[in-house]
Order: sequence, then C-alpha cells, then structure tokens
Amino acid sequence: MEYLLHILIFITIYIILAQSLVLVAGFGKMISLSHAGFYGIGAYTTAILSINYGLPFLITLPLAMIISGIIALMISLIALRTVEDYFIICTLGIQIILFSIMNNWMSLTRGPLGIPGIPALSIFGYEFNNKISFLILSIILTSIVFFILRNITKSAFGKVLIALSEDEIYTQSIGKNVYLTKIITFTLGAMIAAIPGVLYAHYISYIDPSSFTVNESIFILSIVIIGGMRNLIGALIAACFLVILPEVLRFIGFSDTIAANIRQIIYGASLVIVMFNPKSLIERVLFKRKMNNIS
Amino acid sequence: MQIIINIFISSLIYLFLADGFFIIYYPSKFFPFSHAIIITLGAYFTYLLSNQVCLPLWVAILSSVTLATMLGIFIEKVIYRPLRKHCTSLINLMITSLGLYIVLQNVISIFWSDDTRSIRKSEVSVGNEFFGAYITDTQVAIIISSMVIFISILIFMKYTKIGKSIHAISSNAELCNIFGINSENIVLWATGIGSALAATAGILISLDVDMTPTMGFNLLLYGVVAMIIGGVGSIRGLVFGAVLLATAQHLTAYYIDSKWMDAITYLILIIFLLWKPLGFSGKRLKKVEI
Repeated sequence: MEYLLHILIFITIYIILAQSLVLVAGFGKMISLSHAGFYGIGAYTTAILSINYGLPFLITLPLAMIISGIIALMISLIALRTVEDYFIICTLGIQIILFSIMNNWMSLTRGPLGIPGIPALSIFGYEFNNKISFLILSIILTSIVFFILRNITKSAFGKVLIALSEDEIYTQSIGKNVYLTKIITFTLGAMIAAIPGVLYAHYISYIDPSSFTVNESIFILSIVIIGGMRNLIGALIAACFLVILPEVLRFIGFSDTIAANIRQIIYGASLVIVMFNPKSLIERVLFKRKMNNIS
Repeated sequence: MQIIINIFISSLIYLFLADGFFIIYYPSKFFPFSHAIIITLGAYFTYLLSNQVCLPLWVAILSSVTLATMLGIFIEKVIYRPLRKHCTSLINLMITSLGLYIVLQNVISIFWSDDTRSIRKSEVSVGNEFFGAYITDTQVAIIISSMVIFISILIFMKYTKIGKSIHAISSNAELCNIFGINSENIVLWATGIGSALAATAGILISLDVDMTPTMGFNLLLYGVVAMIIGGVGSIRGLVFGAVLLATAQHLTAYYIDSKWMDAITYLILIIFLLWKPLGFSGKRLKKVEI
C-alpha cells in the first residue's frame, strides 16, 4: 500500500511537469530541454529556504515559483531569439548550465552531496508526514494546475499560441506580439514546473543534482510527445504509463540497473515511433478524433 | 607550456569532432543527436574487438570504423530518409534522433555496463618530453591524424565531385535535384564520411581518456559548439571555433576550476548564438534571421 501511494505521488509530480511542458512545447512550439532545470530550481529554493530560514510551505511555494519565473524570464529573453533547432540546442545548453550550478556551487547547494533533512510539508501547523495526506495534497495541486492550464489553452491567449505555433509571421501580421507571447508562455511554464520541485523536495526530504539532469528533461519531453503534443489528458496518461513502466519491469524480474535501461529504451523507441506516426499512440488508442501534429 | 600543448590537443580533437558533425549537418540541415552514439560506438567496437576478441589493435580500429560507419548509413537510410520524404519538420527529425540516441546508448549500457572501460593494456606512460611539457604517444597520434584528416577534408570539399555537390545541396537542395544531383545520395555520402570521422575521433579519444557509454553526447555537443562558434558554412571557421572553445575550457580549468568547464562552454555557445549567430565566418543562415 505504501509502495502504491509512493508511485501515485510520483505520477502526480510528473503530471504537473508534463502538463506545464505541454503549454510550452505543445501550444507554444518551443521544444525546451531545460524543464528539469526549473524543476530543480523549485526543489532547491524550497530546500534552502525551509532549512536555513524555517519558512513554511505556503511561503516557499510562491517564492520558488517566482524565482523560477525570474530565471526563466531572463533565459527566455535570450533563448527566444533563436528558433527551431538552435532553440533546442540553446535550451540544452541552459539545462547543462543550471545543472552545473546545482552541482558545483558548493556553498549554496552542497554540490553532489545534496541537501538532506528537508522538513515535512506543513500548512497551518498540520503536518503532511504520512503518504495519504501528501497524496491528497499533491492531487489537489495537480487538479488546480490542470484547471489553470486548461483555461489558459482554451482562452484567447491559447488561441494566439496555437496560431503562432502554426505560422509565426502570419500571427505577427495580424497584430499579435509573438515575442511577448512566447516569453510569457515560457515563464509561465517554468513557474508551474517549480511546483513539482517543491513537492518532490518535501516528499523525499533529500535532494541532489542527479535528479535534475538532461536525461530528466528528455524524459519529461518524451512524456509530452508520447501523450500528444497539445493534449493535457494525453500527457496525464503518458505520465502514468512512463512512471509505472519501470515498476512493472521490476516485477517481471529485471534487475534494477537493466530495468532503468529498458525503460529508457522503451521511451526512446516510442519517440521514434511517434515521429513516424504523427498521431500519438495514446491519441490513437483513446481519442479517436483528429488531432494536430506538431509539424 | 603544458597548457599550450593541452589547448592545442583539445582544439584538434574538437576540430575533428566538428568536422565530422559539420559534414552531416551542412547538407542535411538538421542536428542528428544520434551522431553522438557513432562516436561512442567507435570506441566500444574497438574495445570489443581488441580486448574481448583479442584482435590486433589496428585491425580492431579499422573494422570498428567500418562497422560504425555502416551503422550511421543504416540509420540515415532506414530512419531519416523515409521521415524526410514525409516532409516532417526539422524538429521532428531532431526528436527522432534524440530518441534513437537514448535507445542505442542504453543498449550499450546493457552490453558493457556503465563502468569506465579502457582499451589500453599497458600502463599509462609519462610520455615524451617536448619543450618542457609532456605528451603521450596517443596524443601524438591524435595530432597527426586530425591534421591529416582536416587537410584532406578541405581538399575533398573543394576539389571532388561529391564535395562540390555537398556545397551545392546545402545552398539549394531542390535546384540540385533539378540539375540531376541526387540530394538524398549526397546526404548519404556525407553521413558515411561524417560517421567514419566520428568513429575515428571516438577511438582516439578513448585511447587517450577511456570511455563510458555517455561520452558521445558531451563530445558531440563540444563539436556542435565549435561549429556554431566557427560559423556553419565554412570549414576554416571550424578552426577558430575549436581553438576558441579549447582555450576557454583550459583557461577555465586552470584559473577557476575544471568543474565549471561545461558551464563556460555553453555560456560561450549562448553568447555566440545571441551576439554573432552567424559565427566567425559570417555566412548567412536562414534560421536565425527572424
């Protein structure tokens, strides 16, 4: 039972991550490989603030989001001047820079040693120290994020995003500010990505840079792509699938190291397959309607 | 003196890597992440053949370059070519190559585990003394082979039919098809040459500093950074890119700390993407003009 709850909590964390990337990569067509960096910024902010200054969750969460947002704003001002493959390379570079800051700034992040002893999450004196209450909290947060993202993507702003991902120059010609829209989207995506970071830090109570590598970014991106670029529900299902997969592999009887490799092989292979059939697997099975591919 | 030698050797390695990548990127115009795995596989095939099958080293090197090249061509033919026929965008191709990279890298991890492997059988020697600095035999091999290859690539691109076709295709693929140059075939040639270069680079590097399954990715990115700094479109620009990158990395390692090397590398990349997206050579690329 504990084990099941543990997996469910991880699923909610990845759902938030994937859905925030759906906004950036799916609707905004900015294939970003720096999402794990923002996830890490969220985790480190809350860890440092709650250990060193004893700040409660309700203060560290908005602070983490704001810090992640500010960093994303600065990054997007730079990165969004490039497009397509240069943008991917640029965000990849940013991810590596963020990782190397987490890994090397010893005085702040304790580098590869990580930060242990992050206190349990508490709101108004109520401690979320057992798994069930934590799961309920993370489900509530996930649904809030889902609700916000759904409304954003259905709003006028979302329509502008879809338009610019189809044809940037045309969108600009009808008087929309493409650059500003992209910056807002990127920043918003990064702010939302800080939420699961905060949850993760409080839940595991120990963080180190190895959770926020390039591979993690690629993993989040593949959840989005397998779920169908512009599909929030698809991202949800794909997150469930990809988080449960290694556990299933372990049950089948692979050893831990091989199971990790096989999981990566499966999601790498599904990226290739999805690109051959632009309609994603999950969309094919579950949503039998026509969806836009990303091209 | 030692630091100058080190800068010199790394810039030649980056030049080597950038060459191999450039020759694929130039005509086909997309970043194949799967190129990283060719670098790694070159090294691992050599390890397999020379240490596990016990062939002599030079046979192992030759046959693993051939094998890795064949794999590169196979990937191009079976995966990228059909995708390109469907007219999918560059981003789709890039994501596909990323997926392929993940798959193949993990296959290597399963076969050879994540531990560091070494082709060398003898003890590490101090090397030869050269103007007060030390240089190993492997590094001498790296210097000689990368210079030879760089010059032959220059000549190849300028004077052979395929080299000229690569130039032509990179400037306008459709027009080339009209004039009877088969762009797909030329891309295949370019992939073959690029893969062979990548595999050779991987082998030389693994002889120098050992290997892990993930080594290709970083090396590929160094090559890419050198290429972008140098400016996509000129081979001579690659020299500037490689030298600048190597100098920056070694000075960082010397004056600050070697752990910040990666961060500095990508900082340079981002500065260049902003300040001089066309690189040293100044050739125009359509992508960065918006």
